[in-house]
Amino acid sequence: MKTNVRLAAAAAAALVCVVPLVAHHAVSAEFDSSKVVTLKGVVSKVDWVNPHIFVYIDAKDENGKVTTWRLQSLPPMFFKNSGLTKEKLMDGSEATVTAYPAKDGTDGFGFLLKLTYPDGHFYNLGGSTAPGGAEK
Amino acid sequence: MRFQLSLIGVAALTIPAFGQTQTAANYGPPATSYAVEAARYPDAATKPTPHLADGHPDLNGVWHHFFGGLVGQVGNNSFDINFARSIPKGDAAKTFAAKPDPEPEYKPQYAAKVKMLSDNQVKEDKTLHCMPPGVPRIGPPQQIVQTQKQLVFLYADLTGNHWRVIPVGAKHNADPDAEATYNGDSVAQWEGDTLVVDVTKLTDDSWLGDNGLMHSPKLHVVEKLRRVGDTIQYSMTADDPVVLAKPWTITRTLTLQSDTLGEMPPCVDNDAGHYVNGEHHDNGR
Repeated sequence: MKTNVRLAAAAAAALVCVVPLVAHHAVSAEFDSSKVVTLKGVVSKVDWVNPHIFVYIDAKDENGKVTTWRLQSLPPMFFKNSGLTKEKLMDGSEATVTAYPAKDGTDGFGFLLKLTYPDGHFYNLGGSTAPGGAEK
Repeated sequence: MRFQLSLIGVAALTIPAFGQTQTAANYGPPATSYAVEAARYPDAATKPTPHLADGHPDLNGVWHHFFGGLVGQVGNNSFDINFARSIPKGDAAKTFAAKPDPEPEYKPQYAAKVKMLSDNQVKEDKTLHCMPPGVPRIGPPQQIVQTQKQLVFLYADLTGNHWRVIPVGAKHNADPDAEATYNGDSVAQWEGDTLVVDVTKLTDDSWLGDNGLMHSPKLHVVEKLRRVGDTIQYSMTADDPVVLAKPWTITRTLTLQSDTLGEMPPCVDNDAGHYVNGEHHDNGR
């Protein structure tokens, strides 16, 4: 896959990753926490559905080719009264996005950890010790 | 419907989660928020118990929400998820500790089937694929609308929005050809200040709770609701003479909420094709 993706083998991450155990199946049943995918792209779509919302990232590779990643995230109820809305997630800004890739090898499918924007603000949906998660 | 909301359980949320396999213990996030809701209104049970014009206790209101609200703002424009947001502070934290439900006792010949279903829950549990939990797994009513002749129980669940219309003083549907359903055929009557809801015709497509707690079409459920101040003492007894060795009872304390129930987004089974193992956790209700 020729997107601007860095697959960082992160064995150590397995020791500290505490992506919350979201809605019913374990994250580990689908996603590989020993690898972190880093993308640069724009949130192009959000499916606000149970049991998890899905965030779509249009990620550009070094040649400008766009690949859409479909990233599973948290249950919609987790966002209740938070102020982090679908609209806010889709503000059009380019973000650096980290995710765990799918264990079954499906291209462009993963579990969303964090979106970080050029001005420094971030949406860390991957838990307190997900990569970069301690940042405040 | 199992409920295990303990400080230990919350602490477990901060330990590495990956690679864990399902056990009889519920190691997942507290998917229900009874104790959190109680902690926000600690003297609810001491309030006067209101009654309607017909003399029965007033059960109207929002009593419970599915677990949520874990994402919050940090700094000016950033957000994160933090399970600590679910833990009450100070003395209220004492109410956060809750005993797990008792396990239903199956007849010995069904133990292997329950284990098989539990071991293969990701595949076998239809609620994990957006089917309704049904009664009794759906839990106590989250909102109640009460009239003299009927009550409406409303549920905003992970699997979608569900409802039950429960006539007071009516008899069960006598049609022998009536299909069993997820929420069954419910009728209610008042026994003093306690509302007793009798439920039959429950489909065996549903389970009693997580971890393979299957039942037969002979399942009979009795729910009891008694308002005490601004709380409801709720109990559910499941009697299945086919698979259970004895009736199984669990209890909940519901606390009157000041907000609305709200509509749950639809449930979409996006994950079914991507599981590579059976690791999962429960959703207490």
